[in-house]
Amino acid sequence: MDATVGIPPAVTAETEAFWTAAGQGRLLVERCSACAARSFPPYGICRVCRSRDVAPVEITGEGRIYSLTVNHQRWMPGLEVPYALVLVEFPDHPGVRVFGRLRGCPPQEAVIGMTVDIGFEPGPGGQAIPSFVARVPAGTVDPRPRRAPVSQPAGARRQERG
Amino acid sequence: MGTELLERRAVISGVGQSEIGRQIDRSGFQLTLDAVLAAIADAGLTVDDIDGLAMFPGGGKANLPGYANGNLYEIQDALRMTTRWRQGIVEGMCLPFYGPAMAVATGEARHVVIWRTVKEGSAARNAGGRPAYGSTNPVAEGPLAWLLPVGALSPVLQIAPYAARYQHEYGVTREQLGWIPVTQRAHAALNPDAVYRTPLSLDDYLAARMISTPICLYDCDVPADGATAIVISAADTAAGLRAPVSIEAMAGVVDGRPSWEQWEDMGRVGYATAAAMWNRTQLRPADVDVAQLYDGFTIEVVWWLEAMGFCEPGEAGAFVEGGQRIALDGELPLNTWGGQLSGGRLHAAFGHVAEAVRQLRGEAGARQVAGAQVAAVTSVGGYEAGAALLTAWSG
Repeated sequence: MDATVGIPPAVTAETEAFWTAAGQGRLLVERCSACAARSFPPYGICRVCRSRDVAPVEITGEGRIYSLTVNHQRWMPGLEVPYALVLVEFPDHPGVRVFGRLRGCPPQEAVIGMTVDIGFEPGPGGQAIPSFVARVPAGTVDPRPRRAPVSQPAGARRQERG
Repeated sequence: MGTELLERRAVISGVGQSEIGRQIDRSGFQLTLDAVLAAIADAGLTVDDIDGLAMFPGGGKANLPGYANGNLYEIQDALRMTTRWRQGIVEGMCLPFYGPAMAVATGEARHVVIWRTVKEGSAARNAGGRPAYGSTNPVAEGPLAWLLPVGALSPVLQIAPYAARYQHEYGVTREQLGWIPVTQRAHAALNPDAVYRTPLSLDDYLAARMISTPICLYDCDVPADGATAIVISAADTAAGLRAPVSIEAMAGVVDGRPSWEQWEDMGRVGYATAAAMWNRTQLRPADVDVAQLYDGFTIEVVWWLEAMGFCEPGEAGAFVEGGQRIALDGELPLNTWGGQLSGGRLHAAFGHVAEAVRQLRGEAGARQVAGAQVAAVTSVGGYEAGAALLTAWSG
């Protein structure tokens, strides 16, 4: 699956370190020297304590798919479809979520909760883009809803106010 | 509520639209003039009464071909006007009339026209298909840098993961949610200005091709051409207006991370906005006679139904199933003009506001909801959100 057809990122003073590291296969976020919180995307300020004393730090370890979509639409000429896009969170790095492509399993087998490894692949404009790698075979994650089921019948709240 | 709410000092006095369609072979500027002049006449005013102008998007900012049309100063110049208040909006566009209502409420202006013109239908035709979001720029700047390069090339892909998460958490099915576009299509059949008016069945919906899971073709609004203008007037001018509509309450809160990929739980996007709005009125969800809820995608209607308290979180699937509750004769007639899913993406809730005004005036023709006195309007999905209650004029 080729991911180079698309629109490359504008690289800015705030994001240059991220994109440079991406080309080396490393995922950088900002770490706060004052409170140790991780922030992403990089703004040059800690999103938790608002300290300006932040520095890029690599994060490693497993990620979990918060949610995903499988795109079937050819939005640009030459765009290869289908592909899965995943929102990934990191159990060891709360507050960090990264959007990227998914490799390592057929797109339709990706599920919420799946464990992934950090990775990158060539993207538009010669820029490496986040491309996570499925670690666990599909069907081995718990697909149960996170919230308790709602027992109240539909419309009940509306009716009681009526 | 000890102090008078500013929105009570403003009324919606006029709405006007150009011809609306999949492709209209006239310029966006001419469509804008059509809508602006129609709205002013609808208010019972003349061009010389207007002293404020606003448009969306300001500055001609466009991430999609056909998204931005014209320029505020060109409209002022073409109509030979003097203005005391102007606003071009992208950020803060929680409701079309939010800023103009503040302007007339504080005396900055007396009568403000705001408009939104789209030529996205023609642009898609000219591009040979639905173009990628951001394709008007060579590189992805700002927040788009985290979306477009990885392949999230449309708002469909940006909202789809949150739709998937919502369905995962609550077990809501496509068989339930399909009743939203199916019912809205039935409403569009009664609206001569709607883009798509032929019947749509649940089977049609379930057989439609996937765009980006779980969002199928009929979950997406329709790129269209057309202009909508709205006139907002100071309430103390009401005696000289043809058919004003009251703004009972309005609010627009952005409380999560304002980012398509960072929002903690986009299914709750409207909750803070709806809570702030309900806090400004004695009316309750059960008092709403007709709901025009923003529908860039089916899932946005779902979230608004829950955020506004028309049903509980996770219940929207059951609420809309079968379509009876949201039909014209149901307990909550929904998107009675067809919404953007069938009526066309007039965008930023301009079509929704125009319909709410017509319903409250009793001017909605074959799709009129009998006795509509209170209308709910919500705007925009994603991280921006606005909600308002409009009420029939009582003098």
